[in-house]
Amino acid sequence: MLVDLIQNTLDGLTAGAAYALLAIGFTLIFGVLRRINLSYGPAIMLGCYAATWFHVQFQVGLLVLAALTLAATVLAGAYVERLCFAPHRDRSAIAAMVASFAIWMQLEELATLVLPNHLYAFPALYEGGPLSLGPFTLRAEALVMFAVTVLACLALQRLLYRSRFGLSVRAVIDQPVAARLVGINLPWVFVRVFAVASALGAVAGYLIVASAGQVTPMLGMWSTLKGMLAMMLGGLGSLPGAIVGGLALGLIEAHSQWFFGPQVRDLTAYFLLFALLALRPSGLWTTPRHG
Amino acid sequence: MSALLEVKDVVTAYGKIEALKGVSLEVQQGSITCLLGPNGAGKTTLMMSTAGILRPRSGSIQFAGAEIAGAAPHAIVARGIALVPENRLVFPGMTVTENLRAGAYQRADKAEIEAHIERMFARFAPLKARATQLGGTLSGGEQQMLSVARALMSRPRLLLMDEPSLGLAPLIVDEIFRIIAELNKDGTTIFLVEQNAHMALKVANHFYLIEQGKVTFSGDPGSLAEDEVIRRAYLGSARA
Repeated sequence: MLVDLIQNTLDGLTAGAAYALLAIGFTLIFGVLRRINLSYGPAIMLGCYAATWFHVQFQVGLLVLAALTLAATVLAGAYVERLCFAPHRDRSAIAAMVASFAIWMQLEELATLVLPNHLYAFPALYEGGPLSLGPFTLRAEALVMFAVTVLACLALQRLLYRSRFGLSVRAVIDQPVAARLVGINLPWVFVRVFAVASALGAVAGYLIVASAGQVTPMLGMWSTLKGMLAMMLGGLGSLPGAIVGGLALGLIEAHSQWFFGPQVRDLTAYFLLFALLALRPSGLWTTPRHG
Repeated sequence: MSALLEVKDVVTAYGKIEALKGVSLEVQQGSITCLLGPNGAGKTTLMMSTAGILRPRSGSIQFAGAEIAGAAPHAIVARGIALVPENRLVFPGMTVTENLRAGAYQRADKAEIEAHIERMFARFAPLKARATQLGGTLSGGEQQMLSVARALMSRPRLLLMDEPSLGLAPLIVDEIFRIIAELNKDGTTIFLVEQNAHMALKVANHFYLIEQGKVTFSGDPGSLAEDEVIRRAYLGSARA
């Protein structure tokens, strides 16, 4: 019983690490643009599909695949920004969101047009079996996932608090009018934030498909849902909240699967989100906003 | 003296409602020019149009001989205009020092920026004690000082100030106006929007009255009896 509980916690934290990465990307875009980008996941999916296509055609190595996923996702992200968010900057948030939904469909169609099978094999990160630590088992991929998430969070922290770009991002999140008044070029910040968020999403996406050993077009919807859910659990627009929300989502899923069975796994998360929105709509982890 | 800022026939609208209905005025190099007028007359709209946050529908805004109407705010900052906005708009989640660093966003001279921040702390002593505190935790008067200091960090030739005394205690208001006079003495041209006509007329070289989106009077302090200016600035002549 206790062994199971700990094992579930380990599994939950691993899945949660990926969710946290997805949620951070989502939160960056939401914090800076105050817009929900539904195409966030589909852009990641497209990046993974681009890598898969290269893998199918040329049998390239792991690092090349990772680089391809990153490059293609960032490109897809920039495409989404130019098409959905740049034209609707001062206008309706709904228009931007609906546009991002339309692009979602477009990206999904593109992926299934080029690679029409339902699923494709994706080279695994590690070919050996799971590692055992006493009574617990841990996949090597899980360790990589965890390590990469921690590194990505540290890198992002450095970027946000130690660079001029980070200063501009925090200024835009904090007080957008004042950010423009001190001379920050808003459209340029938006494009770069999209690139950073897409890059984080690509890292998460690559690790997820490499752990699963396969990729399907559903990855797009899956990433958007998990990222959004984790972001909302943590509190809209808070980066530490996104990490907490991601880990919480992973833990909740792992434990509820053990208690109630695999069918209930996703349902619990949605139920929790519903309860949270009803009882504490600002999220679990919110910083008070002044001024 | 020559005009540093020249506003001509500027019309700015929110949807169908014109907040500025053809405003023309000039700010002379080295002056403190004040814009007075009742609530809703279009004072903030003119400031926001000059800073590029709002885009004028028509008319021209020339700064040091170059047209800036409709330019992006960052391009206007680069030319040497900084706005201290109404309600101060400090970055609430950033420290005082970070607020100042953000004010120097377009500058690349890292060492000089840090030295400039130290000079700001010398000039605005209350900020120094709060250097590592978040902007949102400051008092109203401190936030106003921070907002002014942040604007100065871009080393503007023209400082726009929108209601710097709004909501502040009288002692702090005196302090703010002392700072305005000092900045001007150091060579910064100042274009000031004020509700507090009495204080504004004490420091201004020239003033304009704006009522319902139009300039209705301009002159030097003393060219119109002060109580008449104040009456119109608060109430507008139409309703008097």
